[in-house]
Order: sequence, then C-alpha cells, then structure tokens
Amino acid sequence: MERTQHIVRIATETGLLVLLGPLVTGYVQKLKARLQCRRGASLLQPYRDLAKLLRKGTVRSDTATPFFRAVPALVLAATVTAATMLPVLWAPSGPALLPVGDSILLLGLLALARFLLAIGALDAGGAFGGMVASREMTVGLLVEPALMLAVFSVAVAAGTTDLGELAARRDSLAALSWQAPDLLALFGMLILALAETGRIPVDNPDTHLELTMLHEGMLLEHSGPGLACIALATHVKQLVTLTLVATLFFPPGLARGLAPPEIALALGAFAAKVLLLATFLAVVESSYAKLRFFRVPQFLGLGLVSAFLALALRVL
Amino acid sequence: MDGQPPLTRIVVWLGHLLVLAGALGGAAFALSVLAGGAAAPPHLALPRLFPFAEMSLSVDGLSAFFLVVVALVTAAAAIYGPSYLGAHAKAPVLQTFALAAFVACMALVCCAGDAMTFLLAWEGMTLASWVLVVSDPREENARAGLLYLVMAHAGTAALLVVFLTLADHAQAFDFAALRSAARGLDGRTRTALFMLALAGFGAKAGVVPLHVWLPKAHPAAPSHVSALMSGVMLKIALYGIFRFGFDLLAPASGPLPASWGWTVLLLGSASAVIGVLLALQQHDLKRLLAYHSVENVGIILIGAGLAMVLGGGRGPQPLATLALAAALLHTLNHAAFKGLLFLGAGSVLARTGIRNMEELGGLARRMPWTAWLFLLGAIAISALPPLNGFVSEWMTFQALLLGGVRLGGASGLLAGVAASMLALTGGLAAACFAKAFGVTFLGRPRSSHAEHARESPAPMIAGMALLALACIALGLAPGFAMPLFDRPTAELLGGLGASAVVTARGPLVLTAGGPVNGLEATAISMTVAAALFALLAAAAWVVSGWPREAPRRLAPTWTCGMTPTARFDYTATAFAKPLRLIFAAVYRPRRQIERETGPSPYVLRRLAYTGEVVDLAETMIYARVKHWVNATAQEIREYSTGRIHGYIGFVLVTLTVALLVFARP
Repeated sequence: MERTQHIVRIATETGLLVLLGPLVTGYVQKLKARLQCRRGASLLQPYRDLAKLLRKGTVRSDTATPFFRAVPALVLAATVTAATMLPVLWAPSGPALLPVGDSILLLGLLALARFLLAIGALDAGGAFGGMVASREMTVGLLVEPALMLAVFSVAVAAGTTDLGELAARRDSLAALSWQAPDLLALFGMLILALAETGRIPVDNPDTHLELTMLHEGMLLEHSGPGLACIALATHVKQLVTLTLVATLFFPPGLARGLAPPEIALALGAFAAKVLLLATFLAVVESSYAKLRFFRVPQFLGLGLVSAFLALALRVL
Repeated sequence: MDGQPPLTRIVVWLGHLLVLAGALGGAAFALSVLAGGAAAPPHLALPRLFPFAEMSLSVDGLSAFFLVVVALVTAAAAIYGPSYLGAHAKAPVLQTFALAAFVACMALVCCAGDAMTFLLAWEGMTLASWVLVVSDPREENARAGLLYLVMAHAGTAALLVVFLTLADHAQAFDFAALRSAARGLDGRTRTALFMLALAGFGAKAGVVPLHVWLPKAHPAAPSHVSALMSGVMLKIALYGIFRFGFDLLAPASGPLPASWGWTVLLLGSASAVIGVLLALQQHDLKRLLAYHSVENVGIILIGAGLAMVLGGGRGPQPLATLALAAALLHTLNHAAFKGLLFLGAGSVLARTGIRNMEELGGLARRMPWTAWLFLLGAIAISALPPLNGFVSEWMTFQALLLGGVRLGGASGLLAGVAASMLALTGGLAAACFAKAFGVTFLGRPRSSHAEHARESPAPMIAGMALLALACIALGLAPGFAMPLFDRPTAELLGGLGASAVVTARGPLVLTAGGPVNGLEATAISMTVAAALFALLAAAAWVVSGWPREAPRRLAPTWTCGMTPTARFDYTATAFAKPLRLIFAAVYRPRRQIERETGPSPYVLRRLAYTGEVVDLAETMIYARVKHWVNATAQEIREYSTGRIHGYIGFVLVTLTVALLVFARP
C-alpha cells in the first residue's frame, strides 16, 4: 500500500516535470521576446513544435549506424530517469521505499545523456557533428565537477546526497538555514545552470549558425520523432536543472501528506520557484552576449571556484 | 589461425585451454575461501628451496579476492587469445608459454605466505610480462621493454630493502613473523618502510610520477596480454600496497599513521587526474587505454587512502569499510572494463593492423560486435550509470563526503579536494571515450585497412562478451558482489564486513553511511534506476518509431552542400583540441606548421602539421635522471678496462668489503 503510494507520487512528480518542461521553455522565450520589445510566440509554441515533429518523416544520414536511431530514445530516457530523482511536490517522510533520489545518480544520468548525444553527433560523420561533440563534452567536463561540488557543499551539511532527504531536512536542521556557504554555492549554481540549460553566455539555443552552436549542433542530423524526443529531453533537462537549484536552496513548500490544500500549496510554491529561476535565465540571456568558446572555461571557473569555496567553508 | 603449422595451433590452443582451466579452478577455490566466513586461511608449505627460509602459500580473504580478479580477466583472455595470436603473432608458442607463466606468477604473488615466495613470484611476473612486451621484435617495443625492466627492478629493489629490513628483525621470512617484527619497530622506521613499499609497488602500479613506462610497455604486448597487464598486474601491485599498509606494517592496535593515508590519497588524486588528462591526447588506441589505467589506479588509491585515514580508532568504522569496499569494487570493475576495452582494441588491431585511431573510423558498421561491446566498456569506464564504473565511484564519493564531514577541518577539506578531482576525472574520461569510440568506430573509414575490416572470430567476441556481462552484472546488481569484500574488509579493518555496511537494506539497495555512525544514510538502487531507464527508453522508442504515413529516407550527411568524404570527419586531434588549449599548462603543447608556397604566397603547395604534447613527468624528471645517469656512466667509463678479470676484481672487492662491514660475528 505504502509502496504503491510512493510509486504514484514519483510518477506524478516525474510526469509534472515532463509535461511542464516545454512550458518553461515557452515562458523563457516569451519573456525574452517581451524584453526585446517583440510580441513573441505563444507560451505553447514548444508543444506545437513537438507535435509537429512527431508527425513528420525522418531523414537519416547514410553513414550513421543503427545505434543512431536509438540515441533519441536513450537520451530522453536518461533525462526522464534523472527527473525521477527530484522531489517536486512531496518531501519524503521517513526512508524512501524505492531509493530513487540520489543527486550523484541524477548528475550521472545527465552526463549519460550528454555522452550518448555526443556519440550520436559523431555517428553521422561530418565536421559539424564532431566539432559540437568535442565542445559539448568539453563544457560538460567543466560543468559536472563544479555542479557536484555545489551539491556536495549542501550535502555535507545534511549528511546525505539524497535530494528528498536533503530538502526535507533543510527546514528542520539549523545547520541548513542560509549561511555564507549557501550564498556562494547558489551563486556558483546559477552560473552552472546557465551552462547546463545551454543558454547565453555559454550557448545560444536560438542560433542555427553552425560555428556558434553547441547543443543545437548535435541535433543537426536528427529529424522527425527522433528530434522530438531530443527536444523534449532538452526541455526536461532545463526544468530538472532549475528544480535542482530550487531543491537545494529553496526547499520550503514541499507537502508532507496528501491533503488537497497542502498539494495546492506545494504546486504553487514549485511554480513560483521555477518561474523565478526561469525569469533569471531570460533576463541574463537578454542582457549578455554569448562568450567566445575559449572564454567559457573562465566563466565556468568562476562557478567552480565559488562551489569549491562553499564546500571548503562548510567542511572547515 | 591462418598460415601457421597445425602443431603450433594445437600447442597454442592447448596452452590457452590450460590457462582457462586454471582460471576457473582458481576462481572456484578463491570463492570458496571468500564464502568460508571465519575459517582459518588455507595454508600450504612449499619445498625448501633455500636453506635459510621456509616457503609457503597462504590464502586469506585479501589474497582470495585478488585471485578472483586475476581469474576473471584471465578466463576472458584465455578464450580470446588463440584466435588473436593466430591472426597476428610472430612467436605464438613462446607467447602462450609466457602467458601461462605470467598468470601463474600473478596468482602466486597473491597467495604467497612469505617474503621469498612473494619476491620470486613477483620477479617471475615481471620477467614473463617483459618477454611478452618484447615478443614482437620491433625497435619501439625493445625500448619500451628496457624502460619497463629498469622501472620494475627499481621498484623491486625498494621492496627488497623493505623485506630484508623486516626479515632482519624477524629472523624469518614468513608473513606472520614479519608482521610481529614490524610491530616492534618504532613509528618512524615503519613509516619509512611503508613509503619505500609504496614507491616499490607504485612503480609497478603506475602511480604518478612512476607511470612513464606503463603507456609504452602495455600496448606493446599482444592485446589480451595488455588486458592482463593493465587489468590485473597493476592490481597485484595494489595488492602489495594493501598487504603492507593494512596488514604487515600496521600497528598492533589503533589507527594507521595519518601520513600514510594522506600520501596514498593525494598520490591517488594526482594519478587519477594526470592519467586521464594524458589519455585524452593520445591517438594510439592502446596507449590511450594504458593511460586510463593510471587514472583508475588513482581512483582505487583514493578509496584505499581514505580507508587508511578513517580506519583504526575505537569501535567499528563503517566509513572506512565503505571506502575500502569502494576501492576493492573499483579494482574488480576496472579489471572487467579495462580488460574488455583492451580486448576490443585488440580486435580492431587484429583486423586492421592499425592502432592509430586517426586512420580508423567507420568500424561500427564493419565490426558491430566489437564496436558495441567497446561502447559498453566506454560507458562503464566513464563512470556513467547504469554500469559498474558508476557504482564504485558513487561509493567513493559517499565515503569522501561522509568522511570529510567526520574528519572536519583541513582533513575534511582534503577529502573535498579529492572529491572534486574524482568528479573532474569522470568528466574527462567521458570526453576521452566519446573521442576514442567516435573516432575509431563511427563516421567513415579513413584508410583502406579500416574500410575492408571484417568482424573478429567468435572466440574473440566471446572473450569480450564475458567481461561485458561482468560489467553489466556489477552495474545492475552490485549488492550481490558485496559479500566478496566481507572477508578482506573485516581482515584489514576489523569490525563489520562490507555487506553489512553497504547492503544493509538488501542486496538490491546500496546504502552509504548508515545509522551505525550517526550520520544518515543515502541509498540508491541501481536495479530500479536501470529498470526505469530501460522502461522509459522502450516507451520512447515505441512512440518515436510508431508507423506513420510520413516517409523515411536516407541521405548523405550535411556538409554545406559538398559531397561528404572521410576528410570531413572530425579527427581525434581536433576533438581534443579545446582541452589541449584549456589545460595547456599541463600539456605544454608544441606544434609546427610547415608551408611550402608556390610562386605566390597565397598558393599553397604543401602543408605539413606536426603537434605533440609532453608528459611533464618525462621531461621534468626522467630526462634529467637520464642525463645524470649518462654523465655518470661517462665518468665511470674511465675506469672500465673492458677486460673481464678487471670486473671480477671489482666484484670480489665489493663482496669482501660488504662482508666485512655487514657480516655478523
């Protein structure tokens, strides 16, 4: 009984992240357009794009291996599995029956998605695929350790890397109320979130100019439903990243039980946190220029250093 | 086995089958010891070779665990070997015999119950592997072999000092006597001995900066032997570090000296990062894999060092057990995936004759089994879920985090540094293997050898598949492997066994921390995560592959309107370029571009590019040592007459002086 309830909770939370992923992208696009004095596309445009792609036919590169066709499904699966690790509405009460909530596993699954996508980009052959795969893996290896350090700086205070536990204890433990390490870690995390969501100043999601793209470049040879899978995975990954920031630094508002008002409150809190962070993405993207690729390491280094300092302050 | 006389074929097959039988027997025996609980370790007295020393074999939990590691890769290599040697070898019979001797010596090192047996087996292991390294007579292999021999013997010399010092105090050679003799020594001597042992074993394990021979020697051997050297022989050296650090030199009670653990931990962190950074810039597939062994030895040492730091003290130490279990699990994991990757690289080498990945490409369509098994190994070694590399790194992370909290202060910070190094290593490894797999197997073939490659024969595939299964099993259900570590962890650290700490909630759930030490536990279930992943992938596959009216077609890859050729494919050099620039301080990249222009400077006739990165250890340390050795040799040359009786005179004088100084009354 309890196990069923737990599974239903996880499924609800994951479903929410998957369904709302495109909406967050739509919101960021809309807000960016408004900031640039345009009207912009509808909030629902990403859903329409997905529906359109699902109806379309596919063109596959004749040099690609059969594995290429599996890449979109695997990338989407890895991203959605990562999404199951996050507490969205409920904080766990007691040890989880199904232990899916580990932050290292979450980051590992996102890294798996990135790795598979890079393999797919190399599969078709051609210089663009190789170039973006190289760049994406380079950015990835700079972002991942920094993200881990940021997560660790919160985790060492709670003594666990389980995100649900972490969020649940953040309310109750005095050690977890806001301190200097949190501010530093949040600062680092926001920098890294820009890279992880593929946004300016690290990457430009709107570009289709081959020489400047990172993430988009890996999608060049994908088409139709496969492209839809990867696009959905990108939306979900963005929301996962934002929710991760929210879980680590703004945990209050999670529901404990199943009472409707409590759930409504949790939903409202979740929406408010994500909106706030999405607004941050849109504002940064409208007010900065994209960095040259070899400037990116310095920018990410800032995130790495602040995350490391946060961890150092916490441990010392 | 084309083109070799039938007798050779039979001998090679029989030899490998014998090795396989030995591996299976050894595995069965080791597993029975590991399952034996508190039973006394099997002990076997050997015939007395020397008048002054008893020789014996003794298999306790730690020995048995390393025997399992030896047996796993040996079994795969024995299945793989005959077909590989048939396709490739210059001296298959010699190589088969050397292989058997090599494996037997590795097993003997693990089982040795006294210093003499240990040293003899250790030396046999070095010599047998050296024969395999130089068995393909080429200039570079001979050089690699020489360097290997020099480094290995420098290491053995350090070990000799340690063993002889202990034996001098114990007046005996068996480990029990050495152990009690070491307890009688004062702390400073013991630390000096441990550092010497660490250097001696580190030279064999490829710990930075003693790693320079490794990427030269490992690739020179036949590929299944490379798998054994990288996957197993390095572990035997680690066995030595475990044996000395936790057992022979350990104090009778209380924690190990803090300097031991921190030295091991920091050496491990440095090896991990430097190994993978150097691996990234290699274009020789087997050399790239060899550098990754340096990295993985580093990861194992991080866990081992942490266990040394956390172990001892009062009461059970679940965190130390966790760290040691992580190190041991990574030992097993690395044996599985590095063996798999070397066998995969060997399969490519056998079919194309090429190790330089710039000349490969497009092999996934020609050698699908090799390619997908190699990809599996690549995912595992990059520490990506849901395979085994992730599990052991997860455990190491947990141990570092919780250990860092418990230690606090500067020690905690060091643990944090190690954690960040480990995280960086994972990302770098993923980038490296995206490159290695992508450039070797994907895109278009860049040479005619690659274009006409065919899939390797079934026994070679079977050898790889065996290790791939191990990677999957250890990744999806690591809890079932934990009982393997029960005896070793309990012997080395005391207290609870690994499975009591790590799988407290059942074999399908891994827990770190646990209520035992007051810190809350983190739990993951790889099985659930993998099932979820598979389920979602299947669902996405069905949805995206659902039959629809819109057409599906094939088209050439988009290359801005030109006809795509292999020259459009990204090369390994290009792939690693961003990292070469970002980490220029480590690589000191050099490049030279020669242009030959025609009548006008704008008409290029020829363009030559050469680029290389350096191994800082090689240029900063070894080049200087080499210079010094050469200079000294020149000096000594003055006194060398070239006549044999002159040298005999030198030896005689040395012996007499030594006896006068050291002989006991």
